[in-house]
This record gives sequence, C-alpha cells and structure tokens, in this order.
Amino acid sequence: MSPLVETAVLVACAAPMLLLLVLGVAALANRLQERGIGALTRAGLLVALAGALTALVTYHVAGQRPQTLRYGAWFAASEAAFSFDLAIDGLSLGFAALSILICNVVAAFSFRYLHHEQGFRRYFFQMTLFVVGITFVALAGSVEVLFVGWEFLGLSSALLVGFFQERRAPVANALRVYAVYRLSDAAMLSAAVLLHHWTGSGNLTPLFSGGLEHLGPVHALVVGLLLIVSVASKSALWPFSGWLPRAMEGPTPSSAVYYGALSIHAGCFLLLRVQPLLLASTVATVLMVIGGVITAFYGALAGRVQTDVKSAISYATLAQVGIIVVEISCGLRILPMLHITGHACFRLLQFLSAPNVLHDLHDLENRLGAAIHAPERGAARGRTSLYLFALERGFADGVLERVVGACRYLVGKLDVFDRLLVADRSRKRDRT
Amino acid sequence: MHSTSGGSAATPDPGQHTALEDIVRHVGHLLPAQGPIDVFIHHNTLHAFADLTFDDAVLEAGRIYGCQPYLSEDRYRDELRSGRIDEADVTAVLAATLGLRGEERVVGEHTRLELWRRMVVYGLPERAGEALGWELSETDVLVRLRGDLPADARQAAGLSSTASGRRAEESRYVAALWSACQAAAQRGASAVAPDVPRPRRPRDIVLAARGIDIDDWVHPILIRTTSAFLDQGLADWPMAGRDRGLYRCFIDLYSRRIARLCRPIGKQLLAIARAELESGRDGLASLQRSLEELGQPRADWQAFLRDEALALRGFAGMIHQIELRPDRAPTRAVDARLADLLAVRLVIVRAALAHAAARSGAGDGPLDLRAWLDGCAADSSAPPAPTTDERAWALFHMAQLAGLTPANVEDLHARDIDALQAERRALDGVARRRVLHQAYERRLRHRFYDALLGNRAEAIEAPAFQAIFCIDEREESIRRHLEEVDPLAETFGVAGFFGVAMYYRGATDAHARPLCPVSIRPRHFIAELDDAPAQGLRQRLLRRWQHIGALVDKNVHLGSRRARLGAVFFAALGALWVVPLLLRVVFPWLYRALARSYDGLQFRRARLGIAHQPHDSPPAGEQSGFTTEEMAEIVYSQLVGIGIRDRFAPLVLVLGHGSTSLNNPHEAAHDCGACGGGRGGPNARALAQMANLPEVRSLLASRGLHIPSRTWFVGGERNTASNDITLYDTDESPEHVRALLQRAVESLQTARRREAHERCRRFESAGAWLPPAAALWHVQARSADLAQPRPEFGHATNAFCFVGRRARTRGLFLDRRAFLVSYDPEGDADGALLEKTLAGVVPVVAGISLEYLFGYIDPTGYGSGTKLPHNVTALVGVMDGAQSDLRTGLPWQMLEIHEPVRLAIVVEAKPSLLQELVARDAELQRLVDHRWVLLAALDPTSAELVELDSASATRYVQEHALHVTRGDSRRHYQGRRGHLPLARIEPAAHEGA
Repeated sequence: MSPLVETAVLVACAAPMLLLLVLGVAALANRLQERGIGALTRAGLLVALAGALTALVTYHVAGQRPQTLRYGAWFAASEAAFSFDLAIDGLSLGFAALSILICNVVAAFSFRYLHHEQGFRRYFFQMTLFVVGITFVALAGSVEVLFVGWEFLGLSSALLVGFFQERRAPVANALRVYAVYRLSDAAMLSAAVLLHHWTGSGNLTPLFSGGLEHLGPVHALVVGLLLIVSVASKSALWPFSGWLPRAMEGPTPSSAVYYGALSIHAGCFLLLRVQPLLLASTVATVLMVIGGVITAFYGALAGRVQTDVKSAISYATLAQVGIIVVEISCGLRILPMLHITGHACFRLLQFLSAPNVLHDLHDLENRLGAAIHAPERGAARGRTSLYLFALERGFADGVLERVVGACRYLVGKLDVFDRLLVADRSRKRDRT
Repeated sequence: MHSTSGGSAATPDPGQHTALEDIVRHVGHLLPAQGPIDVFIHHNTLHAFADLTFDDAVLEAGRIYGCQPYLSEDRYRDELRSGRIDEADVTAVLAATLGLRGEERVVGEHTRLELWRRMVVYGLPERAGEALGWELSETDVLVRLRGDLPADARQAAGLSSTASGRRAEESRYVAALWSACQAAAQRGASAVAPDVPRPRRPRDIVLAARGIDIDDWVHPILIRTTSAFLDQGLADWPMAGRDRGLYRCFIDLYSRRIARLCRPIGKQLLAIARAELESGRDGLASLQRSLEELGQPRADWQAFLRDEALALRGFAGMIHQIELRPDRAPTRAVDARLADLLAVRLVIVRAALAHAAARSGAGDGPLDLRAWLDGCAADSSAPPAPTTDERAWALFHMAQLAGLTPANVEDLHARDIDALQAERRALDGVARRRVLHQAYERRLRHRFYDALLGNRAEAIEAPAFQAIFCIDEREESIRRHLEEVDPLAETFGVAGFFGVAMYYRGATDAHARPLCPVSIRPRHFIAELDDAPAQGLRQRLLRRWQHIGALVDKNVHLGSRRARLGAVFFAALGALWVVPLLLRVVFPWLYRALARSYDGLQFRRARLGIAHQPHDSPPAGEQSGFTTEEMAEIVYSQLVGIGIRDRFAPLVLVLGHGSTSLNNPHEAAHDCGACGGGRGGPNARALAQMANLPEVRSLLASRGLHIPSRTWFVGGERNTASNDITLYDTDESPEHVRALLQRAVESLQTARRREAHERCRRFESAGAWLPPAAALWHVQARSADLAQPRPEFGHATNAFCFVGRRARTRGLFLDRRAFLVSYDPEGDADGALLEKTLAGVVPVVAGISLEYLFGYIDPTGYGSGTKLPHNVTALVGVMDGAQSDLRTGLPWQMLEIHEPVRLAIVVEAKPSLLQELVARDAELQRLVDHRWVLLAALDPTSAELVELDSASATRYVQEHALHVTRGDSRRHYQGRRGHLPLARIEPAAHEGA
C-alpha cells in the first residue's frame, strides 16, 4: 500500500472528526458565530474531500490491491479485540469520495439557506456528525467501525428530522424515525456480536471478499439476515417504509442529503459490500429480491399519487432503492454502484430545488408553449381501492407499527427469558 | 352503529338546508383569503374584521385564531430601552386614551395617568400558579426592590442608596411590603374565577377529559384527501371523478373495504362511510346529519363549524377561495365546496370519536356520541379562582411602582384595594401592549410628518426626460437615485398596471394571465405577437432546438419519478448530474452567466398586439385588443391622474416591475401587487404604445390633453430582485429621441447600480465595503441562487404612503419605506381625480401594510413561519414539513427586517376636501375611521399637516428639524444596516452656494 493512499485516507477520516470536535467544543463554550462555523466547516470538508479524492485517484492510477489498514485496537481482552480497521478498495474509496463530495455541496447550500436560522450551529454540528458517520460506514474494515458509523448516521438523521423542535410534529416524527433506526442498530449490533462470537474478531474483510471458510453456512445466513434487517430498516425497504414520509420534516438540505442522496443509499452500499456473504445463501438472496421488488412497486405506486413535492420525490427515490437492491441480489457490482452514484447526484439536486417546482413548471410550460396536464384516468371504480391504497401510502404506518410492535414483543420475551436465566444461574452459584 | 335511522335526514327540510348554507358561507368569511400561491395577492389578514376598529379587531381575531394581538411586552420594553419607543410618546398616548380621567387620583399621591404610565413603562410581570411559587421561593423578589424602579419610587422607600450596608434594611422593607400586600389582598373583594368559555370542539372536550387528541387521527386523512382533491398536477395519478365534489370522492374512496386498514380509526370510518354511501346524502345533508349526531344545538352550529373549520384553516380557506374564484385555480378548476370539506371533516371526526370511546372503555357496541361527549365534558374541571398570593403579587408591584410603603399599604381600605385591582384589570397585559404599540407607531409616523414638513418643495421647470414608476415602496430608491444621477429627470408614481387591465400572453407563454388588480376582471386580451416566421433559418433552428431541450427536460423530470425509466436513466446518465449540481448549488453566479448567454440567443423581436381585432375570439376575456377610444381613455386617465397634463418632456419612460427568485414558492409575492401578483412590464409597454399612437393622440387633443408630437413613450420593466431593466421596442423610437434615450439608459444604468448598492446594506452576506458594481453582481447572483431564502426583502419595512406632487418628497431619503403616488392638487379643486386615486390605491397599500404587520406580530399564526421546511403541496400552497395545514401568509424570511406599524398616509389636499372624500367612499371610510391606516392631509398651499378621519381632525406641529445629508444617498446609508432616520439629501454643490 502506497503511503500516499494511506495518508489521504487518514486525512479524509480525521478531518471531519476533528471538525466535529471543534464544533462541539465551540458550541459548549458558546463561542462560534455563523461566519466562524462556515469557515471551519468549509475548510474541514474541503480537506476531507481532497483526501478522499487523492486516495481514490492514487488507488486507481497505481493499480493497487484491496487492503485493510489497521489502527490498533480500541481495547482488547484476552481473546477478543475491538479493532479500528479501515478497508481500502475501489468500492469503499468511491463511496467515501462521493459522500464527502455531496456533503460539501450540501454544506455550501446550507450556509446560505440557514442564514439567521435559530439552530444554525446545531445544524452544522449534526451535519458533521453525519459526515463522520458516512465516512466510517464507507471505509469500515471491522464491524466495530461500521457500527459506530451506522449509529452516527441514525442519530444525526433523527436529530435533523426533529430540527424544528418548537413544533410538535417534527419531534414526534423524529422519535418514530429514531425508533425504527434503533431496530436497525439492534440488528447491526446482534450481527456484530455474533460475528465476534463465531469468528473471534470483528474483521469484515472476509465477508467483503467472500472468504467465508471459518463461518459456517448457518452462521453466515444468520449474520446475513441480521444485516438485511438492519439495511431494510435504514433504507426504508418494505415493510419498514412507513417512516420515510415522516422524515421530511427537516430543512430542505437535510432531507436532500439523507433521503435523496446518502443515508438512504448507505444500506444499498452495505449490501453491496457484503454481497458475497448474502449471495452464498439462497434464502438471503430470495429475501432480498422479494424485498427489493415489493419496495420498487410500492414506491412507484405511492409516489404517483402523492401531492406534496417532498413525498413525491422521496417515494420515487424509494422505488429506485428497491431496484438497486434487486440489482445487488442479482450479483451485479458495477451497475448498482453506477446507479447509486447517478441517483444520489440527481436526487440531491431534485430535492434541493424541490421548492422551485412551481417556477420550474411555469418555465417548462413556457418553453414548450403548452400546458402540462396530468391525464385524468383511473375513473373506473375498480381502481379506487388501489388509489386509496397508494394515497394512504400502502397503510405502511400501520404495518410499521405492527412490525416494530412485534419486535418489541420479542424483546420483551427475551428480557423475561434473560431474567429467568440470570436468576437461575445466580441461584446455582449461591448454592455452590 | 347509529342510534337514529338515516331516514329523517335523507329528506331534509329545504329551509334548513339554505340556513346551513348561510352558516357555511359565514364560516368562509373567517378563513384565510389566500388563493393558490402562484398568484400572491397581499391583503389585510384580518379583512373579515374590518367592521371593527383595529384595536378591537386584533383582540377578537386573536381570540378566534389563537394569535397574538401585538408584539410581546418584553419586545416593546426592549424598544423602550433602545430608544425606538419614546417615553414621551407613551405619555401622549395614555393622555389621549384617558382624557380627563387621567387627572383623577387613584391611590397615594399619583394621578391615574402617572400610575398607568409607570405600569406601562416598567410593566407588571404576570405570574400565576407554579410559576409564581417558583418566583417567590427561588428568586430575590422578596428580598430586593425591583431593579428598574424610578428614582422617586426608590426614595419613597427610604432606600435611595444601594450601598451594601443597606442590604439588610432593604430586605426587611421588601418582606414587610409583601406581607402588607398579602393582608391587603385578603381584605379586598375576593376575585372570581376568570370566565373561560366552555370548549366547543369534541376534540378539546375529549382531550381534556381522556387525554386523547383525535385531531392526530382526523388530520392526516383529511389533509391527504383534500390535497389530492385540490391537486393541480403534482401527482402523476390524479384523484378520479373530481367533478363530483370532494364529499362524493371521499365517501367513494373510504367506503372501499380496504379503508379498514387505515389505522387506527379505519373500522369506524368504513362503517360510517358505508352508511353515508347507502343513504346517498350530499355534502350539505351529511353535514347536517353529523351536526345532529354530535348533539350540537342549532344555535351553536355557526360557532361550532367555525371552530372546526379553523382547526385546519389553510386547507379550508383554499377550498373556499377556489369555490369563490374557480378561475384562479392554476391549471384545473375543481368543484370545491366548503360545505363538502366540513362534511368530510365531521364524518372523520365521528369515526375518531367512536374509536376514542371504544378505546376509553365505552364498549364496541352502538354508541350515542352525544351522551358520551356530554359525559366527557362533565369530567373536565373549571379553572380555579386566583389565589391570595396571585392577587397580592399585582398589588406588590403596583405598590413598588407607586412608591407605597408597607405602612401605606396597611392603611388602604378595602375599596382602595379594589380600586387598585380595578386599575390593574383595566390596564392588563394586552392594554399595556396596545399603549406601547401606539407609542411605537407614533414615533415613526411623526418622523415622517417632520420630513414632509421640513422638506423644501422644488419643482423642475423643464425636465429632460420623465419616468413613470409603480407606487411600490421599492421604487422609491430607484426614483431617488435616478434623480440624483440626472437632476433633470422627473419621476412619477402610479399603480403599476398603468390603467391597462388585461389578460396577457407573451410570445413564449403557455397561458394567458390577468395583469391587473384582483378586484378587476379584465375584459381585454392582449398577446405578444411573435414575428419569428418572418425571420431567418437561424432563428427557426434556434426555436426548434429550444423546444427539443424543453421536451428532454420534461421527460427527465417526469421520468425521474417513474421506476423503470428512472432506473435506466440514473444508471446510464445520472452521474453526469454532478455538473449541474455543482453549478447550480455551489457556483450559482456561473450558472446564471451561462444560462444568460444561452438566453441571449433568444429572439426578442416580438411585438405587442394592442390594436382591436374585432373578429378574433380571445382565449381569455371578451375582446382582443383595445379600441382607439378605450386607449385614449386609459392614457388620459393615467397622465392627467399623475398631473403630467401640460409639461411633457420629449421622452417618457414607463417602467413596470416584477421579481425573479429561485426555490421560492412565494416568488409571486415579490411581484407587482397592482398587477394581481404578476409582472407589470407588459402593462407599461402597452401604455407606452397606446400613448405613441397618432390616432390616440388626436383623440386626446380633442379632450384637451395635448401631447407634443416630439414626445415619445418607451415601456420597460425592472426586476426588483436582480435589478435588471428591460426597455421594450426601443428600435421603433424616432431619430430625434435616440440621443435622449441613450442618456436615459445611461442614467438608469448608474441608478440601478446605486440602488442595488443601497439594497445590499440590508443583506448581511454583502460586505459594507461593497462597491456599487459588485453590489449589482451580488443582487443578480442572489436572484439566481437556489440556496438563497432572501432574494429580496419585498415590501418589508413599508411604513408610509404619500399621495401628492413629487416636489414635496423629492430629495428626501425615505429608506425604501414609502409608497409614492403622484397626484397634482392643482386643477383638481373638486377632488374628482383624488377620489379615483384614493379608491384605487388605499385598499391596495393598506392590504400590503397590514399583511406585513400581522405576519410580523405573529409569524407562525398569521404568517407561515420559517420557509425552510416548506413543502409545496398540490401546486396551490405550502405545508410545514411532512404534513401540516396549508401555511398561509408571509414566510419569516420576508418579514425579518420589518417594523410592524400601520401605514401613515399623507395626502396633499385641503383637509376639509379629504375629509369629505373619506366620508363619501364606504371602503375608505372603514379603513380610516377604524384606524387600519392613519390618514393625514398636507395642505397644498399653507404647508400645514392635519391628522384626520371622517369626523375629527388634529393639527400636527413639527417636532424635530429634518436631518440634512450633503452629497448623495450613499453618504447617508453607507456602512449602516438598520432602519435609518429620514433625511434630506442635498447635492454637495449646494454647499458652497
């Protein structure tokens, strides 16, 4: 591994972390004003971008091989260690560079957009938290790094949904989003624990490259399923889609970067990473295909009847995410990555200019010299039910309540079981 | 399911039916009057209350809408501290309010006026319940006197020095005062519990009694259905059969079996929708049935429906507006009826109540909603009467302010105490805010009067050229700068549709749109005629190319929302989007430059077809083009109205205005109000063309208006966001005005640069050092920037209006705050011209001023809050975030720098004549006598200013001399961000003279 790549990766990782620290301390000390925050964030993100792009270019130009960078263990016990590993390959560097580029664009947008807004400082702190999270997810070489990144994504996302904290709806919806994200995190954590338990380390590289010798087929399936649940709830795949429209509460740029560009694709990226593991099992593959297809249909159907611009775009995004998942489960690698990149860039701009929809429509009509009318159709009574289904967003709120309710029930049972087990053990120990 | 059969309501009494229709119509008056957002018309937010005086209306509306009547007391007190509110003004306002009662003694040595003045200036902190308990136990209020007491009050306590040795003494004194007040409060008449009206909405009753908010179940369904019904083309798959009305659409949808999945009230909703479907009731019948089902007595229907409609007032208002003016729906007229919306709402409310009852254990069986609601209502408790401490708290503060010692308080009789409490009730928080608000307005208004009285009138004998602008206060600055650049330029102000009420379609426009005040429905249609076919191959190719580009754009944007097409597109080409992404978001100025170079290729050789075409049938309106007589009438009324009569310069520019901004659903709110939220360029162009026609001129000559043959009119438009100025048809101007036109264009160039510079002082992102050339670039980039929520500040800071000769205001720096209407009192002895001018102008400027005022006073109640979470819905309005009511009113970013004051209108006319005119026009009288605007007359001959309404008149005596700045406007504003004092700008050359 050339030292240049290594240094560049380190810079890309460290710059946002440093920025997060500075913004956090400054916020506690009540120090920085808009200009200061702007200058710092700009500088930090540009440095990170320079690092990520350098790494990506050098890696490809020098024709290097995938590798893991190890930065030692966070802590180690006798046989197990929590290690800080970064995986360097074309995929991880590509996604990291894309993410940091998009974050730069959105930050540039937000400086002007949030001018004079209460919570300006809060916004940029949470955005930086997101940048750190997405960089970790992109570059994770061990399940620990992945988990931390995943948590940061979820946390910053929920906090930004609840950005307008003086109104009730954003806070309630943020809580709902956060609850689903906890489910995702729980699945991820279970996967991490099991992986440690079965392989003795959290190293993800074997999963990325398909070296699954020391993970039995059943074990691989369980880890794979947990990852699918985690991804499905984070990327709003069916049956977890109910939270997506509720996440549209934040300011436009945060909706854009999370649900148009990056957060929603983070799950797809992860699936793409662990593709060898998932494809090794027919059950996981079939599940992914089914989930992807349902999501694509659902997104396309619900998106067609939504009457507010943010929901319409977010469902259209969801449909594409479903298709990307199907592409991944078909064993494709380049196509999904291209799809993710193109989709993220386009949707970002579409989301950012969502409030411009009236202006765009008038402009387009004038250039065409004619009105654009949606055709009136579906008058047949038979399609009324389908229309209602789409209008009510596939009753996904109810579905989500049931799914999360079921999980809560399961956790409750596990808790009871756990208590019994602990009580039993301690009784035995007392006796001895 | 229901306790009564549907039979009785299926054959409603027709008399009752119309009675209910009347009730619904009345309810409609109270709803926000904002129509579809792509045409934004400023109007008085409280128009429904115009029959009340301003001060009564803000209270009444505040009660009904749950909004603030004035700014908060703290806010006014900040303004007192900063000097923006003058204590002298507070005293003056109180003296005027109290009259002779002000001289009476209430208690102690102070008169009522003095007591009230102290209560207003220093305030009585309002605390009750736990907040009071906290204040008493956790702060030092019972240890120290108030820190802000006036010196004499402190002296009365014998504690004038604050030396540390006095601390213990002060603490003893305050404790004694508090116990004296507690004892006094007990001696006084025991207070009664405040009279809180019983909640009327089932939601409030259930929330109070059972802790369930049924609106959380009702609103999502209602919002989705209503916006799907209203949708103007956002959804790809529109709701079917919308011509049946909202109620039928709703019942058809939710009586499908699948509706039961609609958590959590699906089961109940399905049952009720099925029953409604079977009964075949229409919206109105269903509404009546629901009212009976909910047990509402007939007498309460109006109040009940009002409260229910107001719970989601944005949508209800939009439905009502489209019901009133179906032609204002942007693309597709839908059969909207308020009665339908209310019927749908009550059906869902019934389902929600049934579910709430089931959830709180009323059983799943047949349910009598009425009885259940009564049960809930009985469970909620009335608010308690004020405690002794709460009553003592007010006395405690009044004693401190009035300088009463503990001994004084102990000596008070029960009736003195009641008298004190009565004073406190008479001057409660709202009353104090009213006084402070009036003082806040008074100061600014008086500075305007001072400026008018202090300005030296000077008329230009022989203007080089004349320019007619809109009366808009944003044109004040460009007019001033133009006059500073070219001292021989003369400017006028007239309502920006220039008398040309028309439907207009530009050469590249898809639709015809009305360009005139909303109150007028235009009869005429004018099209811009494109003579491209006569042009070369290059033009035709260009146009074809543009069309193809538009088709591609259309398919990309629509296709991106489809699954399959989108997938192909994104995977293949999406990555290329990083280029427009970077250009549009990070480098908007570069994008603008590129887009404009493309625009520059456009063929702008089209002509306006104003001539009457008797055989054409226009796409809108009744008649294509204007007849010569109509044109002559328009030109006559415009030119005579502004008093230009006999002093034509060889060149007259007519400039309308509009505004361009991106990512701004409220873009139209920056356009010209007199054009009904459109752009006034075509109107200006039409007027210029009319005035240039020889046959029109000869008709005018026969009416006594002689336009010299050398005089030429040129129309144009200014963009108030980017400061671009377009002049039309300059190639048609005759040879002899070319040089003059060149001079005018150069002056306009300089003026627009300077104007942009002045505007930039309000933008924090523009440095104070900005040179004028960079300022122009700055405002241009702003209007093309997706990330910019403040492309311009619109009408914010408007405060004044002057109707009269420019000579009275020329040279005044009015800080872009004054609507300037040209009117010449000479030759209008009977006031006929003035009557027409006032009738047209005053309601428009009052609407703008009041919308900004209420928006600023309650930005989330009357305004639409911050625009950052705004989400365009159904192409008719915006919601907050994922789902909310339609937000009406102005967004905070447009209001931010405003000062909420009523408009001070000064008319250059004899006071007696103005009074007569006010009394003659009902609308004007209502606005003036009810103090929605504050009117004054400036006598044209004696330079005397009289504040008046139709019944009374008060002479104003100049308070301050006018500040004079030598040089140009820039000398006055450079380096300063906030509101500036009005001043007279005198050319530096005068210094030596």
